[in-house]
Amino acid sequence: MIGMLMAEWRRTVVETVRYPLETISSMATLFIVFAGLFYGATYITNSPIGGGRLTTVVVGYAVWMTMMAATGDLGWSIQNEAQNGTLEQVMMFPWPPVVIFLVRAFTAIVAFVLPMVAVLLGLLAMTHIHLQWHWAAVVPFAWALGTAWGLGLIVASIALLFKRIGQVLNIVQFAMLFLILAPIADFSAWGWRILSTIAPFTAQVTLLRDVLSQGKASLWLWMESGINFSLMILLGILLFIWATRVARSRGILGHY
Amino acid sequence: MLEVTGLTKRFRSRTGVVEAVRGVSFSVAAGEVLAFLGPNGAGKTTTIKMTAGLIRPDQGTVTIHGLDLCHRQSAAVQHIGAVLEGSRNLYWRLTVMENLLYWGAMRRIPYRQARLRAMDLLEQVGLTDRAKNTVQTLSRGMQQKVALCQALMHRPSVLLLDEPTLGLDFESSEGIKNMVRHLATDGTAILLTTHQLDVAEELSDRVAIIRGGQLILEDHTKAVLQQYSRSAYAIVTETPLPSSVLASMSDLPGQVNVISSQRLQYVPRDGDTETLYDLLGLLKPYPLLQVERHQADLAEVFQQVVNSEGEV
Repeated sequence: MIGMLMAEWRRTVVETVRYPLETISSMATLFIVFAGLFYGATYITNSPIGGGRLTTVVVGYAVWMTMMAATGDLGWSIQNEAQNGTLEQVMMFPWPPVVIFLVRAFTAIVAFVLPMVAVLLGLLAMTHIHLQWHWAAVVPFAWALGTAWGLGLIVASIALLFKRIGQVLNIVQFAMLFLILAPIADFSAWGWRILSTIAPFTAQVTLLRDVLSQGKASLWLWMESGINFSLMILLGILLFIWATRVARSRGILGHY
Repeated sequence: MLEVTGLTKRFRSRTGVVEAVRGVSFSVAAGEVLAFLGPNGAGKTTTIKMTAGLIRPDQGTVTIHGLDLCHRQSAAVQHIGAVLEGSRNLYWRLTVMENLLYWGAMRRIPYRQARLRAMDLLEQVGLTDRAKNTVQTLSRGMQQKVALCQALMHRPSVLLLDEPTLGLDFESSEGIKNMVRHLATDGTAILLTTHQLDVAEELSDRVAIIRGGQLILEDHTKAVLQQYSRSAYAIVTETPLPSSVLASMSDLPGQVNVISSQRLQYVPRDGDTETLYDLLGLLKPYPLLQVERHQADLAEVFQQVVNSEGEV
């Protein structure tokens, strides 16, 4: 398992380093967006901004970006492998496909988060802005990431069976934007309450927001968030295993 | 080494159910090359992919190295290497060495061991100096050689080759063929599908022909060629034969076809091995250039078998 993880990590790093223009462009985009958030907030409020409000905005954006990458990467990975003609070889590895693609998702997200954190820390050092951070926030962030992988595996299952997922990902990304940024958990109507419990991300993002702003959250929210994450990742794994079986049975693994 | 028994696969389409493969059985022993031939749409690729575990059969079993592919897939695929047609089989943005190390690691080979194996394989295919080149910068022939190296990283006992020499120039094609011969000598069981029948004839120990999803011929290549070779002789002389000599041949038992004044075809009666010498006696003292018994090639066999009448 470690050997596979290292092999995937090396592949990810090599592809990132070999085409530096792509990496530099994505870091520049992150820099511009974060700088826009920092200075834009200052301009709009006409006062120095920092602390809780900015933390919520910046973390909300970073979480959204990370979740989008985590969700989309699995589907794109399947689509690209099918398009490039390597999917069948990957399916001949002595590892369950779901394990291979989750390991790939992990290495891809590490490669995505590291430059983002570097850009963010650099910008914080340059602007002397202080964000409110609690280490307990790592747990809801990890749960949100797991939820994104669960959703990503659902998208990857669609990619395995139908291959072209561009439009599906568009819908998923807009739905995620709504689920992550809209304060659904604060809506009082029952329908919204139920949605915030069963929909992906809402519980984890609410928990993350509470932990970052207050340093703690209710036990109910921790449970709701943990159960939601567990169910999403389980659903994703089961669906992906089923889709792999169906694709093998229909003989469409190598199709594009 | 590779045992395929009663493979059957049906695909559902808008027009109904298509039975792509029907009860196909064959085996490939260690050190043997089986040429698996058939016209387009005969079920070759479906069969080879079922053998690789990429398509699940509706019925039948694939046993590799004594392991049932359906029930012990992870263990069984460790004994298979495959170069599939129409696939790149490699990551084009990685170098040759990076590719081989990646595929090796994914097949549970420790890093150092994988490096040594990769260097050894690249030396065998003459690509040591290309180890640091990205795959996308290589020629088609070189890419195919690297794909073969990739499939061999984990020393599989069964190798599946789907059109390994398609679109390659003479030199690259010869390189791949030499590698296949070398692997068979080393004990690898090789299942080869190709439309290049000369390649199949050169490399195979046995041949299997599939038509309409059903195996219609399976035997040793030499035996098949022998069986389909006619009892006819081609005779070529250095100088033109006078018409009197040509006329005297018509009295001989069997059939003499005069193709030109220097070229004859003689078809003896069944079991008659004597008359040929009488015919050669009539040609004396005209110098002979060639006396050769007709030998069928695989293309001829293939054409006859595939186009033969019969319920399939």
